[in-house]
Amino acid sequence: MSRHHNDFSDPYDQDAIEADLIDPDDAGLDDLEDPLAAPQHTSDRAPLTGNIGASTAQTQSYLNSAVGGEDRRAPQNTLDESVWATLSRDLLAVWEKMRQVLWPKYLLGGAMVPQDGGEGGVRGFGQGLMGVVGRWPDADVVLQGGMSEGLRDWDLWGPLLFCLLLSFLLSRGAQDEQKGVVFSGVFAIVWIGEAVVTFQIKLLGGNISFFQSVCIIGYTLFPLVIAALLSALSLPIIARIPVYIVLVAWSMAAGISILGGSGVVKNRVGIAVYPLLVFYVGLGCLCFIS
Amino acid sequence: MDNPEPGSLSWRLSTHPITLLCFLGFRIASVLVYIFGLLFTDNYVLVFILTILLLAADFYYLKNIAGRRLVGLRWWNEVVPGSGDSHWVFESAEEGSRTVNKTDHRFFWMALYAVPVAWVALAIVAIVRFKFMWLSCVVIALVLTITNTVAFSRCDKFSQASSIATRALTTGGLAGRLGGAMIGRFFG
Repeated sequence: MSRHHNDFSDPYDQDAIEADLIDPDDAGLDDLEDPLAAPQHTSDRAPLTGNIGASTAQTQSYLNSAVGGEDRRAPQNTLDESVWATLSRDLLAVWEKMRQVLWPKYLLGGAMVPQDGGEGGVRGFGQGLMGVVGRWPDADVVLQGGMSEGLRDWDLWGPLLFCLLLSFLLSRGAQDEQKGVVFSGVFAIVWIGEAVVTFQIKLLGGNISFFQSVCIIGYTLFPLVIAALLSALSLPIIARIPVYIVLVAWSMAAGISILGGSGVVKNRVGIAVYPLLVFYVGLGCLCFIS
Repeated sequence: MDNPEPGSLSWRLSTHPITLLCFLGFRIASVLVYIFGLLFTDNYVLVFILTILLLAADFYYLKNIAGRRLVGLRWWNEVVPGSGDSHWVFESAEEGSRTVNKTDHRFFWMALYAVPVAWVALAIVAIVRFKFMWLSCVVIALVLTITNTVAFSRCDKFSQASSIATRALTTGGLAGRLGGAMIGRFFG
């Protein structure tokens, strides 16, 4: 039916569009294109057809993996598993988040180092230290990276434990009649601070959920817990200044590098991150004076 | 007590006595520590931390262990990769694949609904007595326990709905068995 399209001596086939639109004057009924038949010719639509098929296949595999993957979504594994399997899986998830805080990719190796385990972070340490100064201002580069799989599934163990530890350690340094006030004060400051920073990021257009952000900020309190512990062990004031600056910077680096996937618009990153800095510095000062 | 009738509230009738006792222990201990903690020590901080830790342990134990072992239900939270939205996923055992002990069933649902009511009463007491420090503790308790209550009651509804659907399918001769456990997805 459309055999004449493959015939290169036909003058109408010099131009594909013309051949599609205009039939030759002397064409019989059999030569004309049958609109119901499958298109055999190579027209403009050919690549588009291929694209549609490919994207459908991708969508299907995506859906399949989302329903029946090998992780915790696999339905038949979770109801009858042993208690130890449940505990170890959740402990591993917590450790994965802790690892992201302990080796912030913003400092150690930058955004280009793939997240392939602790070795990757350690390997990039040398380059990281050299590149810290040069890389410090361009948080935009880091913030364009996606959030890793382990951090997407939030939990509140980190925020809860670190918040309790921080409040407890700081209240130990207070006088006896003020212990309760200091404890509840720090407890409230941490949660309200996390909420405020999260709302700031949400208002600036980040597509991060409330609890994800609270989870990340809670886990990044770990260096400040070390600071509070040092205060409780009555580290001398002189030694506190450099150590606490480093610890606050560590928290800050972890916070920036993990919050990277939140999708904040590029030129607003500084505004989004600034309250986080105030939050960390405030808690660091509390540790300093206690 | 020698021969209690089936379904009565005696832990010896349970098929998972250790799970049941741990579950009830965490639930009741958190309330008891909150109410009576200050009788044994005047350390406000210690009682607060103990209550919060017991509440967290109770939340985790109920959500991940007690729910599936006692009544065969489970829920968890999933995050949609693109948008960061989260939705709850409910899982229930296929009908007939497991027999839920009546004693476990009654204990589970009674504790699930009774404890949030107790915390609401304690919240009212804290407001009336102007103890706002303790009110924050009660608010955390309410959030944790009510989340579990809402999630498990929805999970139970999904389980009943899907078992009705299975029955309709099998009696209608349309399809055989739906493989594996059924997942009700609730977007919200």
